[in-house]
Amino acid sequence: MTKKAFRPDVDAPEYKGAYVPYDIIKEGAIAVLVVFILTAALALVFSSPDEKAITIKTWSNADAVDFAQTAGDELAGTSAVAGYGAPYNSNGTSQHWGFLSPEKWVGVHIPINTSQDFVIDPLSAQPAQPALTAALNQWKSASSTVQTAWADAFNKAEPNLTFVNNRVIIPTKAAGPIPVLLNYETQMARSGALDQALVTQNGFYTTNYTKPLLFLSDGTYFAGLANKQHLLGSQWGMMNETGQYPGQAWLWLYTFWYQVKPWSTSASGDFLVWGTMMILTALMVLVPFIPGLRSIPRKIKIYRIIWREHYTQ
Amino acid sequence: MAQGWGLGALINLDHYGHYIQWHVIQISVGNLIVMVLMVATFVAALLAPFPGRRNRKGAK
Repeated sequence: MTKKAFRPDVDAPEYKGAYVPYDIIKEGAIAVLVVFILTAALALVFSSPDEKAITIKTWSNADAVDFAQTAGDELAGTSAVAGYGAPYNSNGTSQHWGFLSPEKWVGVHIPINTSQDFVIDPLSAQPAQPALTAALNQWKSASSTVQTAWADAFNKAEPNLTFVNNRVIIPTKAAGPIPVLLNYETQMARSGALDQALVTQNGFYTTNYTKPLLFLSDGTYFAGLANKQHLLGSQWGMMNETGQYPGQAWLWLYTFWYQVKPWSTSASGDFLVWGTMMILTALMVLVPFIPGLRSIPRKIKIYRIIWREHYTQ
Repeated sequence: MAQGWGLGALINLDHYGHYIQWHVIQISVGNLIVMVLMVATFVAALLAPFPGRRNRKGAK
């Protein structure tokens, strides 16, 4: 029987050297103790990020114009969420990579009708007020063609929208009930009632903030705050933390792709980045089976530095 | 929250951070410090002698 040739990256040579005892339990215990002391000390010295949560109440009080403009876009169905597509609605093109489109495959499983869910339903749940009830009835009884005409008039006047004496002023008379609806919506938001109305109650605990978060994401106020804290995708935001705290440095490669073309400019950027990282992760997991790649540790010889005592003998 | 207990951080980092920009690369000073410490720890792990080496040498 012929002896098989030794394959350096696959076969392990029989070890014939000396053995020394090593207490790995002791090493583990020391490591845990050191990490515990470091964690306690660093927490005492630096504490942790303490940014207050941004709510719709915060937003509408800080920038009522941006809020009212965004609410108008939600009502008109022209916001980013309204045209996103799956999983929220079927109004947009799902992110895809060639024929791969998981969003489309999963379909609309978190249905959001921005006009109804963000504006009409919360206002309808308000205590009856004649002007509000009349405006709601006018909107609900209008045909979609008439609603679109009002929305178009609002969109034209939207850049000149102002907020004066606690009132939203929209310089157009062709927007139907939209100015009245947006005034009540803004008042509701500034009082905090809209936050409550948008939260989905699942059982005893309130944990589903999908609607208020999507609403917030459509405005420019929230993105402006993220921009100041370097948290936007275009600012390597995934690896940053609020304030001067270090963030998720291990996400450097994931967020790197968002800075370079074609990932940074693609409408399917999120899916492209995810797909790229999945391919790279698969390559890493399969290193022992990839000729050439698996030879790198043997060729760069870093192991010889670690085990230098053995190799000098 | 530490402040609720009457305790605050000795060094308050809740201010806008400092960032270093080099072409497409943008990194916060906080992250850079952590990365330098991680690399230093890695190099130390490579170069620091194994515990007990001196005893073993003495025993030989």
